[in-house]
This record gives sequence, C-alpha cells and structure tokens, in this order.
Amino acid sequence: MAGATHVFPQAWPRSAAWRRRGFRRALTFYLLISPWLIGFVLLGAIPLAGAFVMSFTNYDGLNLDYLSFVGADNYTRALGDADAQYALGRTLLLMAFVVPVGLALQLALALMVNQKIQFSNFFRTIFYLPYVIPVVASVWIWKIFVDPTGGLLNALIGTVLPEANIRWLVEYPTAVLALLTVWAAAGGGMVVFLAGLQGIPAEYREAAMIDGASRTQVTRYITLPLLTPVIFFNLVTGIIVALQILVQPMLLSPGILGLNPGTVPPRDNYLYAVHAYIEIFTKQLFGYGSALLWVLFAVVLGLTVLLFKTSRRWVFYGVEP
Amino acid sequence: MSVAAAPRRASPAQTGLRYGPVLVAAIAFALPIFWVLVTSLKKQSEYGSALFPAVPQWVNYELAVVLADFGRFAANSLFLSSAYALLAVLVSALVGYGFARHKAPGGSKLFLLVIATWMVPNLVLFVPQFVLFARIGITNTYWPWILWGLSGSPFAIFLFRQFFASFPRELDDAAEVDGAGPLRIFLQIYLPNAGPALAASAIFMFLWVWGDWLYPALLLHQENTTLAVRMANAYVDPRGNPLQTVTMAGVVLYVLPLIAFFAFAQRFIVRGIVTTGIKG
Amino acid sequence: MSGISRRKVLIGAGAIAATAAAAPILAACQPAKTGGSGKVVVMTDPNEFNDDDRKTLEAATKLKIEVVASNLTTLYAMWAAGNPPDVFRVQAAGVPQYISRKMVKNLQPYFANSKLLKPDDLAPANNFYKWDGKTIGTGDLYGMVKDWSPDFTLYAYTKAFDDAGVKVPSDTTPLTYDELRDVAKKVNKKDAGKRVYWGFVHSNNDGWIDRTAMNMLAEKNQTLYSADFSKLVISGNPEATKVIRYLYDLAADGVNQTPIDPSPNWMGADFNEGQIALLQYGYWFSAMAESDKTKGKTVFLPAPTWAGVRRDPTMTATGWVISSQTKDADAAWAVFEQYMGGKPAQDRAKSGWGVPGLKSLYPQMPQESAFQKQVQKVLQGELGKSDFILQFNPYIGEETFATSWKKNLEPALKGSISFDKFVQNIESEVNTAIADGKRIIGG
Repeated sequence: MAGATHVFPQAWPRSAAWRRRGFRRALTFYLLISPWLIGFVLLGAIPLAGAFVMSFTNYDGLNLDYLSFVGADNYTRALGDADAQYALGRTLLLMAFVVPVGLALQLALALMVNQKIQFSNFFRTIFYLPYVIPVVASVWIWKIFVDPTGGLLNALIGTVLPEANIRWLVEYPTAVLALLTVWAAAGGGMVVFLAGLQGIPAEYREAAMIDGASRTQVTRYITLPLLTPVIFFNLVTGIIVALQILVQPMLLSPGILGLNPGTVPPRDNYLYAVHAYIEIFTKQLFGYGSALLWVLFAVVLGLTVLLFKTSRRWVFYGVEP
Repeated sequence: MSVAAAPRRASPAQTGLRYGPVLVAAIAFALPIFWVLVTSLKKQSEYGSALFPAVPQWVNYELAVVLADFGRFAANSLFLSSAYALLAVLVSALVGYGFARHKAPGGSKLFLLVIATWMVPNLVLFVPQFVLFARIGITNTYWPWILWGLSGSPFAIFLFRQFFASFPRELDDAAEVDGAGPLRIFLQIYLPNAGPALAASAIFMFLWVWGDWLYPALLLHQENTTLAVRMANAYVDPRGNPLQTVTMAGVVLYVLPLIAFFAFAQRFIVRGIVTTGIKG
Repeated sequence: MSGISRRKVLIGAGAIAATAAAAPILAACQPAKTGGSGKVVVMTDPNEFNDDDRKTLEAATKLKIEVVASNLTTLYAMWAAGNPPDVFRVQAAGVPQYISRKMVKNLQPYFANSKLLKPDDLAPANNFYKWDGKTIGTGDLYGMVKDWSPDFTLYAYTKAFDDAGVKVPSDTTPLTYDELRDVAKKVNKKDAGKRVYWGFVHSNNDGWIDRTAMNMLAEKNQTLYSADFSKLVISGNPEATKVIRYLYDLAADGVNQTPIDPSPNWMGADFNEGQIALLQYGYWFSAMAESDKTKGKTVFLPAPTWAGVRRDPTMTATGWVISSQTKDADAAWAVFEQYMGGKPAQDRAKSGWGVPGLKSLYPQMPQESAFQKQVQKVLQGELGKSDFILQFNPYIGEETFATSWKKNLEPALKGSISFDKFVQNIESEVNTAIADGKRIIGG
C-alpha cells in the first residue's frame, strides 16, 4: 500500500489517545452502572453463593452452634423426596394449564380491546384491574367469591342446581387457584400484547385487506406472526412466574379467613415453592430448603433455555417499520 | 396512501360479534370485584343468608379503618412503596442509560446478566438475603427495601435501556461538543424525555411493594409492618370469629387508591411499553 | 482528567446526599432490639396479655414492655434474624426441643431466690418445664405455666342432646372413649348439607392430636415414641395403632372439624354459636363457654378414659420461657416473675381462665354462678388425675406431628390413600424430622 510506511509513525500517538479514550469510556460505563453492579454483587452474587454453600450444610436458621457440612446429602434427599416430586408434578400441571390458557386469554383480550369500539378504555381498565390488585386482596376476593356460605359463585350455580353448594376450596382447590392466577395475570399480559399490536403498522393490515383478505385471515397470517416476539416474551415470563407460585396456595386454604405465613395448603395445591418454603421456615431446614430451591432454579433455567432454542422455529423477529 | 373502501355500516351481527365477547369477558372479570362491594355493605348476619344487603352498612368501612389501624399502616406502606419506587426508578434509569449509550469490555455480557437475574426464582434469592439481613441486623427495619432500591430493578433497567437505545445519537454528540459529561447528558437530555418509561416503571415498582405480603411478613415486625400484613389478621370480632363483611370493606379501601390511580395512568403504561420496543 | 474526577464527585455526592437525606427517616425505623436499655420484648398471645396487663407490669417493674403476637413461624424468623424476643410463650410440647437447641435459659437460680415463685408452691403442671436431658419432669426449671387446666375435660351443649333425644352424659361418671364416639355419632347433625351440630370436636382442630393420642396411650403406660425418642412408633405398636385408628375414625365419622369439613372459626367460637355438641377443652374454656346461645345449656364433664388408668393432665401447659439470647436476663425475669406471681397472676386466677400455676392461688378460682360451681365440682375430681407428665419428643417442635397429620388426613379422608399409608406417611415424615433434629443436636 502506498501509505504503509506512513501508517506506523502515526499509529503511536493515535493508539495511546485511543486507549485513553477507551479507558475513559469504560470507566464511565462502569461508574454509571455501578449501583446495579454493587447491588448485584452484594445482594445477588454473594447471597447466591451463600445459598449454594448453605445447601451443603445442615443450617437450621436458629443458631450456628450445630452447623456442619453434609456434602451432597441435601441434594440426594431433594431428588428422592416424595413430597418434592409430588409438589413439582402439581406445579408443572398447574403451569401447563395456566400458561397456555392465560396467553390465549391475554391475546384475545388485547385483540378485543384493540378494536374500534366504544368504551374500549373502560374495558381495558376492567381487564387490567385484577393485575393491579395485591395478592392478599385478590386471595380474599376469591375466597369470598367461592365461599359456600356467602359466595356469589354458589349463589349463581344455585339458580340452576339448587343442591350443589360445592365447597370449592375443599374439593377443587386447584381450579380456584388456576382461575385466580389467570384472572390476576390477564391484565399484565394484555397490556404487553396491546403494545405489540400497536407496534404493527396499519399499512400491513390495510394492504392485506385490499388484497381481499378477511379479518380472520389478517389476524392469522399477519398479526399473529408479527406478534410472535411478544408472545414469546409473555410465554417465558409466564412460565417463570408459574413455577414460583408460593403465596396464593398458602393463603387459599379453606377454613380460617385470617392469613398466616406457613399455612399448609390442601394437598392439591401443594406446589413446589410452598414445599420449599415450609421446609425452610416451618421446619427450620435452611440447608435442605436451599438445595430444593437450587433444583427449582435448574428446572426454570432448563425450561427457559429450551424455550429459547425452540423459539428460532416460530418467533419471527424480522420487520422493523 | 391508503385506498380505503367506502365506510360500511356494520351489520347487527358484526356489532354483536365485536361487543359480545368483550362484554361477556368484562362481566366475568368484574364479577368477583362486584361481589366484594356487595359483601362489604352487608351486616355480618346477612353474610350467607341474604344475597344483597337490606341497608348498606357503611359502618363496615369505619370498622375496617379502626380494626386495622388503617391510617398508620397505610402510611407505612406508602412510605416504603414510594421510597423504593423513587430509588429504584432513578437508579435503573441511570444504569439503563449506561447500558444504552456507553460501551465497555464485558458490557454486553453484563447486560445479559441483568436479564438473567430477572429469571432467578425469587425465593432462591430471598432466602439467603434474609439470612444476610438477619446477620447484619437490618431485619425489622426498612433498610432491605432501601438497599433493593439502590441497586435498581432488572426489569426497569431493561425497560430504560430499550427506551434510551432509541434516542437519536445526534443529541449526545451535540452535547458532547458543548463539553457536557455523561452525567449531565443523562440529567439534561435523557431523563427529562423519559416520561413514559419513568411512569411505567415507577408504577410497577410502587405496586410491587404496596401489594407485597410475604417479604414484610418475614422481614418486618408488627409495629412497623405494611398494610397488607396488618390487615391479614385484623378483621375478627371480639370472640375471634372472622368478619367477612368488614374484611371486604378493608379490601376495597386497600385497593381503591390503586384502582383510581391506574384507571388514570394505564395509558402511560401502554405507551411506555410501546416505546421500549419489547418486540426486539 | 478533571472530567473524570468531576463526574465521580458528582455521582458520589449524589449518592451520599440521597442516603443522608433518608437516614433520619430510617433512624426512626430502627428494629426493636431486645433487652438492654430497660426494654423487654415479650412474644405472647394478646388474648392472654392485654394492654392492662402490660401497663400493670410496666408499673411494677419500671421497664418498658413491647408485645409481639405469638406465631411459631414468626418466632423462628426472629431467631433466624438473631433478634429473638426476650420472653416468649410456649407450650409444653415444644419445651424439650427448645432446651436441647439451647434456645431457653435455665431459670433454676432465679426461682431459688424468688419471693413470689416458691418451688414448693408450684403446681405440678410446672414439671413440664423441668428437664434433665432425658426425662421431662425432673431437673432444672426452664420456665413456668401461666396457668393450666386438666385438658381432656368435655363441654356438652345440652340443646344438641335434647334435639337428638339423647341423655346428657353424667358429670360424675366419666365416659369411655368408645362410648363417647357412639354418643357423638348420635348427636351429630347435618341439615340439607349445612352443618347443625358437630358431634365431638377435640385436639384444637388437630393442632394437639399427638398430645391427645399420647394421653390415651399413657393410660396403659405407653407412648408414641421409642424409649430414646429416636423414632415414632405407631404401626409397630398395636395399642398405638388402635389409638390412631380411633382418632382417624372420629374424623371419618364426620363428627369432627377436618380439612374436608372445615369451619372458618376456631372450635371455641363454634361452641359459642351452639354448633358443637361435645367439645374437648380444658377448664380454661369455662370462662367463655357460656355465650348467649349456650348459657344455661352447658355442662362440664370429666375427661373420658381410654382403657386403663384414667389420666387428665394438661397437654398444653402454656407458659413463658426466657430466651437464651436475651440481652438483659434480670429485666426479663422481672417481667416474668410479675406476670407469673404478681397481680396479673391473681387476676387470671379470679377470672377462671385456668388453674393457677401457684397452688396458693387455687382458692381464688371463681365459684359464684351455678355453672362455675358445677365446673369446680368436676374440676376437683380431675385435679387428682392431673399429675401425669406427657413425654414430648425433644428432637421435634410443637407442631411437627400435627402438621404431618393434617397434611395426610385430607387425602386419607378423600380416599386417595389408605389408612395404612396414612400412618406410614406420618411415621416417615416425623421420623425424618426427628433424624434432622438429631443430626443438628447430635443426640
């Protein structure tokens, strides 16, 4: 090259300046993210490491007097624990119902609300409301709603089947839990779908309709594919949340109306996180409970990775307006 | 240019199809909430025996306030939620800006780490945090929330990063030419224009603390705990029997401010999410 | 470069400023540190310790007292947080474990010097707080009952019996448990799916089921556990199996409140509503047994007998202990002593909420109304049977057995598991917990 011999002397001052600038830029970056980074180390990485170590001990949360290492005992026990297996099964079952149904509902609601109809804002608010309601309140709302004594559900059913008076929380606790979960989560997912829908340029739909496509065909061949990233997002978050459900099953126990930490739910609602919680906070088995939780983490991670891998097949990231 | 067909009148069937499902869904969604309102106005003796109250018992609301010492604990919840939301949002905005606009070795891996922490099951993280807080003696105080706020929220960091990434770089360049440092650029250009993202994340952060029951139940102590925990066992008559009617009144009071606020603010949330381009 | 340092200073200053501004607010939210500085944290049941009691004790001890509502999970959480209450309420079943885990203070030296709480004035129920490492009932004192009752007595709601045309059992001759079951089935009543009367509810909604079982076994001088407490033995012990089978059958009979037939209220409230025909609670319940509905229709009956020497001890022995980590043991003792021997104790005795922990206070129990007189009459007979000390397992906590029972009872009653599997599950879960406890204490 013609300028080759001239590059060398010029390279020296440029690389030093470049390095200084690069260093400055890196420093700026790290300074800016420092609160998160420090927080991550102190409140994230270190506790997680601690939890990892704890899972190899018999820590009981009461005092350190009897602390000792137990090797992989906690893990072998976790994998062989019949209760844990049962709980995991119930959790996966609940997830398998709640996530697809929830997604479908959220999408349907978003599509409905996105129509050009009167009062769409009002409808949107109604669907969003349960999402905003705190957990304690929503549990109470449903406990009263399905109460055989004073609940509306049985009153309504009673108009067609007077003798029924189903004790929902005793006979079908998982159904109530599933309904509650879907009801409460609908608004959040709906809003994300709405954002996704509004991000699809109107031109695409209009062009298709001019070409003679019906509304359903537009939805199926244009809207849905373009929505797949949003569907994916909601799917992943939905699964992560579903696998960790803890508070609602405990508080939905039939009987006493007051809410106490550590209440054992009916067998059907004995979810994995509940099992871990009870082992830790009621039975004082912090070490064993940590092992259980790491197993849960592995399951969540595994499922998430699986989802990401299969997403290449059906998630369509292509078009930016 | 869109070649629109001449506007057609919708047939009754089409109107039915458009409004029908939405109405049914809205009724189904609202039914439990409607029942809360109805139950809250009944006498305890009417609970289970009458469908609707004979006379609306507004006194239940008074009882709900008194039995749970509502004002005081609502103030606790308000303080905690606001403090956390304020800190978390500001810190997350700053950090999100850092990720959006500044490059450094390892930067993209760190961002993946942000997303990864979002995926860790809450309990996995909370149990050792609980032990840590216990060992350093900050249980029964509000410090855990302050610390959580100061370290930002992965969700909000993600939101802000996406949001700021869409700002035109020319603004940065112009400001840099004027001699502004990154902090000033953030404070004078990015933050003021981050309205929807700020609103959306502030609302989520506030809501998370206001509605949380588990962490205050485990971390706080009954004098300084939040409303959710206080209400959990408060609504019983002197004999220890539960008062479903007053409980429902309490629920309404607990939830009403949120509902009013959200009915108003939800369009910001939608806009906030739209502009971050979650699709990407 | 000056740019960097300015930026650094700005960011740093901002952070400091924010925290500094927040600090005064947060200072106001400091934790309730236990002990020292004249403050004592007491974890107890607000029903047993109301505001007046607190004020009385504060005046008597010149200390500030802070009350926390009793809850086992909260107690453990406070321990895990390194911040346990100075004084906390326990029941006898939990005492051995608390002692083994070094959670409570040996109070023998304090009792030795106390003017109010003299060792020979202590009611026998206090023996539940004595442990020498092997046997409950001998050794040093670690706590005291606030009051106690022979806990296996019955309350009968006569209207339920009248409605069923069944004679109310005699208050001089104890029933056998088998007779009790028959009577319960006769008076049990449902009307078109709605519960009218529960026949026989007991064991505090199954929270005390192991204690009931142990008392029944004790009539034959047997217990649920192996001699060294290392195992729960039901299926290997025919008598234990009989007892557990009996209790399970009561649940299956539908005469008791169970997970598949729950009540939103606790047993006492339902009795007051006139919904329970026979209720098994101790003498203490007599203070509230007569409600508008049940007044004049309540009869106190002696404890039933299983099959041997009839026993009617307390199974709760609710009382207080002082935490081993209290920062000011003397202050904690001052509060403890006053509550157990001072004016609050006398008030408790007069209220009829329990047999006093001090024998000298026995005469103060109320005997004015007809009902109270009838109660006292039966009580005198029971006191003679109440010296027995149930041997609780030191490796597990108060609720371990009951939690396992409740958890497995639901599927058992629904038919998804057999009775044998029910027993097996409980044995395996409790034995695991015992093994965990042993592993920790190294017993």
